[in-house]
Amino acid sequence: MQRSLAVIGAGPAGMAAAIEAVRRGCRVTIIDEAVRPGGQIFRQAHPALRGEEFAEPAELARKHRLLAEFQGVSSKIDYRGEASVYAVFPNGEIHLAQGDATEVLRPDAIILATGVREQVIPFPGWTTPGVMFAGGAQSILKAHRVVPGTNVVIAGCGPLPLIVAAQILRAGGRVAALASLRSLSAMLHHVRGLWHGREIVREGLRYAWTVRRAKVPLLTGYMPVRAIGTERLEAVVLARVDQEGRLLSGSERRIDCDLLAINYGFVANSELAAMAGSEMRRDPVAGGWIPVTDTYGRTSVPGVFVAGDGAGLRGALVAECDGTIVGAAAAMPSSAVDGPTLRAELADAMARRARHLEFQKAVRATLQLPIALWRTVTDETIVCRCENVRFGEIRGALEGGHHSLNAIKRNVRSGMGWCGGRSCLHSVAALTELATGAAPTEMMTPRPMVRPVSFAAIARQRKVEAR
Amino acid sequence: MPSDFQFTFEGRRIAARDGQSVAAALLAAGERCLRIDEAGNPKGAVCGIGVCWECRCSIDGVPDIRACMTPAKPEMVVRRQRGLDPCNDR
Repeated sequence: MQRSLAVIGAGPAGMAAAIEAVRRGCRVTIIDEAVRPGGQIFRQAHPALRGEEFAEPAELARKHRLLAEFQGVSSKIDYRGEASVYAVFPNGEIHLAQGDATEVLRPDAIILATGVREQVIPFPGWTTPGVMFAGGAQSILKAHRVVPGTNVVIAGCGPLPLIVAAQILRAGGRVAALASLRSLSAMLHHVRGLWHGREIVREGLRYAWTVRRAKVPLLTGYMPVRAIGTERLEAVVLARVDQEGRLLSGSERRIDCDLLAINYGFVANSELAAMAGSEMRRDPVAGGWIPVTDTYGRTSVPGVFVAGDGAGLRGALVAECDGTIVGAAAAMPSSAVDGPTLRAELADAMARRARHLEFQKAVRATLQLPIALWRTVTDETIVCRCENVRFGEIRGALEGGHHSLNAIKRNVRSGMGWCGGRSCLHSVAALTELATGAAPTEMMTPRPMVRPVSFAAIARQRKVEAR
Repeated sequence: MPSDFQFTFEGRRIAARDGQSVAAALLAAGERCLRIDEAGNPKGAVCGIGVCWECRCSIDGVPDIRACMTPAKPEMVVRRQRGLDPCNDR
């Protein structure tokens, strides 16, 4: 009987995994929250909105090649768009919500290709309308051809703020300042990585040139410390911080803006892997809690695989190779995975993945922030934006001896709101580490529903697909 | 901005293009505050990709719909939710 495979997430890893599994004769279902495949990095605009692109031609070529390849096998793929997986259980059941109904799938294997979300360090006023994540602003530009502000400040660390600044400028937007906590020159310590990623470095230099030509003020070592405005953002105060997280007095600069786009790196969307029962480990720069996987993306749970950034931040190029490798492994009975045949067939994909991983080491160097920077989070700063939990309350719980994320959640409600803790999990973990000297050993226990689902949709549940 | 159709937000006419999300069209129209939360704080679009749920609105009488994940449609009625009031009083 044909082997069935469900892939959760249709970004580079998920698409590559689905393509590979179809070629190996599997029946593939791929589930994604977006209308069209692509994920965040290869997010597609509606056909009617095609037209000017602001990304580098080389990146667009990669995107269109993979999307065309996916399109080529799409008649053999059950693509579920605008669908949310809200639970994956250790028995191999996937629960998904689509429209006003839910469905339970029970495939032979599951590939979690759930990617990452953005990380920020909260500061007073960051809940003001007009403060966005940089990748979020970028996705609105990419998919909807809208610059979500008329006067933009971009802040954070790593390569994304630079890319977003350049793309907003290319779209005709105004960038009032680009603030970075550390220079991208941290990458220069990884000569080998830069060599392996030289094509990407070239794209980065072209983005840098766009920003330089527009004479955007570059503020290295600055971070946003206060957003001003109530119904809408009016200005941001940026300040210099030292390595101990102390604000340097007199360094504050107020800059008028109606959009502040921030990114301090990424957090893995690993809730479903944890719920499925996978062994997890913590690696803050790679995305917080990430599932423990082997070369083939196998987790500690038989039949549950993870591919791409969800197994640790490594970028789109690694994700695509990873998808091919994991898709191939998931397509065959577990006894066949370790044989010499598969390894030989995947030699090329594994070599490419290893080469791109070298470059990712250089990228990660720009995302490594000292934990002391979290000292900038004041007592009145909202940490959990769903439940309006301020750091003062979390500090109180910590001082009361509640050092696990679950205990903090039970005491002050951080992580109990609509986003399911996905916006504050990393913040509470970092603040706990700063306050107690030790990072929490376990993530906040993800429970169904990891995304809100209406009771009506659960009442309208379609039957379990038989194995 | 060239527009293909309109919908309403809090009774105001909002221009949109085919394929744009509700959130993108609202941001293009200069709307920033998409919701008033339970504590009375104005909230807008944040993650842009469906993670944070901050941009949830009442759309055609159905509360708690993510504006960033919902394609805009002609004559949609989009309302700003206030606290726990779901705005479904059509």
